[in-house]
Amino acid sequence: MGWKDTLDSLFGKTTLPKATIDDLFSISTARVTMESGLNLKPSTAAGLCFKPIESANFPATRTEIEELLQLSSRETGTTYRITTDEFRFTWVVLEDPDFDDLVTGIHLVSQTLIERGFGTYLLCAVFRFEDTKPVYWIYNFKQGQYYPFVPLADKKRDNAAEFRMKSLLEKELPVEKDAGMWYPLWGIPL
Amino acid sequence: MWGNPRFPCTWNYLKKKYEYEMDRMVRWPRDLGLDVRMVVTMVLLMVIYFVFLSVLAYLGVETIILMGIMVLMLLLQYFFSDRMVLWSMGAKEVSEQEEPRLHETVTRLCAIAGIPRPKIAVVNSNVPNAFATGRNPRNSVVAVTTSLVSTLSQGELEAVIAHELSHVKNRDVMVITFAGFLSTAAYFLFRNWLQYGSGFTSSSGGRKSDKAALLIIIPLLAAVVWLISFLLIKALSRYREFAADRGSAILTGNPSQLASALVKISGKMESVPTRDLRNVEGMNAFFIIPAISGTSILNLLSTHPTVEQRLEALERIQREMKG
Repeated sequence: MGWKDTLDSLFGKTTLPKATIDDLFSISTARVTMESGLNLKPSTAAGLCFKPIESANFPATRTEIEELLQLSSRETGTTYRITTDEFRFTWVVLEDPDFDDLVTGIHLVSQTLIERGFGTYLLCAVFRFEDTKPVYWIYNFKQGQYYPFVPLADKKRDNAAEFRMKSLLEKELPVEKDAGMWYPLWGIPL
Repeated sequence: MWGNPRFPCTWNYLKKKYEYEMDRMVRWPRDLGLDVRMVVTMVLLMVIYFVFLSVLAYLGVETIILMGIMVLMLLLQYFFSDRMVLWSMGAKEVSEQEEPRLHETVTRLCAIAGIPRPKIAVVNSNVPNAFATGRNPRNSVVAVTTSLVSTLSQGELEAVIAHELSHVKNRDVMVITFAGFLSTAAYFLFRNWLQYGSGFTSSSGGRKSDKAALLIIIPLLAAVVWLISFLLIKALSRYREFAADRGSAILTGNPSQLASALVKISGKMESVPTRDLRNVEGMNAFFIIPAISGTSILNLLSTHPTVEQRLEALERIQREMKG
C-alpha cells in the first residue's frame, strides 16, 4: 500500500486495486518446469472466477463474453461452460487439451472484462495440474501474481507441497511472496 | 523552478509515480460532501484540543505527568483493543473447518479488496450484528453473531462483512480510538481540576481575584470542550459509518444487498427485548447497527446514522453505479 492508499483509507475513501494481466501468460512456460521438476502435467481445464455486479452494462458484457467464447471454440476447439457457485460468483470454465489455448482463452475473457470496466471484480484465474490430488496455480489479478494451492480433505491444505511449488517456480513465475495472501479457494469447479 | 539542473529527473519521477499510483487504483465517483464533513470534523477536533492544551500549558507542570499517564492508556488501548473487545463481547475465534461459509466469504472479499485476511470470530447471540476490531489490517478481527449468519442470505451476509472489512481497511478502530481518547482525556482533566481547584485558593502573591476567576472559568471551559468533542466524535463515527457503507457497496458491487441486510437487521433489532441489549451498549461504535436503536435517543448523540439515512445514501450510490 502506498501513502496515497493509506491517506485515502484514513479518510474513509474506498479504492479497489485494479486488475493486471501482464504476467498471466508466464504460466505457459512454467508448465514445462512443473512437468520436468515435479512431474505434474497440466489438466485440460482452466477457470476464471469473477463477481457479478449490479450495473447496467454487466449483462451486455456477459453476452459479449459468450459470443467471444463461441467464436474461439469454433477456431481452437476450446469448449466452455459458465456456472455460478454457492457464493454467487461466476465461473468461466474452459476445456482444451492444448494448454496454451487454455491460457489464451483465460486471457481473452479477463481482458474483455477489464476493458468493459469490470476488472476490479475479477477474483482469480485457476490452472489445474494433475497429481494423485488436484494441484492448482491461482493467479491473483489484484497482485498480478500467482500462488500455489493444494487442497486436502476437511479444508486443510498441503503447505509443504505448496512451498515446494513456490521454490521450484519462483524464478520463472511471479509468485506472491507473502504467504498470508495465498487465499484458499475451496470447491473449485474444475 | 521544477527543472532544477541538479535534480533533472526528480519532479518527472514523482509525477510518473503519482500518475502510476492514480492509474492503479480505480477511482469511484467520490462523495465530496462526505470528505468535506470528515475533514471539517477532524479540523474542529484538533482546534478544540489545541485550545484545551494551551490552557493546560498556562496552568503548569502537573499536567505533563497526566499526559504521560494518558499516552500510556492510549497505547494500551491501541494494542489490546482487539483482545479486550473480543473478550468483553464473548466472541470466539472460529477456524475454517468450523465456519467454512463465513471464511470463504471473507476470503473472496479480501482478495478483491487486496487486503490480508482478518481473523474471524463468532458471538453466540440472538441479536443479528457484526463488528470489526484491531489496530491495523494485519491484526484485525471481524466478528459476527450467530443470529446474523442464520438471518441473512449469502448476498446480505457478504454485504455486511464488506462493511466491516471497509472499517478494517479505513483503520476506523485507530481513528475512533484516538478521537475517543482525546475526549476521555479532556473529561479526565476536567474532573481532576474540580478536585484540584478546591485546594488552590491559598496561593502566594499575584492577583487573587484573577486566580479565583480562572478557577471558575477553567472547569467550565473543560466541560464545554468535553461536550463539544463528545458530539464531534459521535459525528465522526457517523461519517465513518457512511464511508463503510459506501465501501461495502463498492466492494460487493451490490449496494442493494447491504440495504436489504440493514432493513432485515433493524427490523429484527426492534423486536428483541431491551434486557438482552444492555450488555452490548458499550460496543456501539463498532457495530453495524447499534443495539440501542429507537426514537428516544437524539440523532446528535448517536454513533450511527439512522437506517433511513443509510438507505438513502445507498440508493444514491446505486444510481451512480447503474448510470
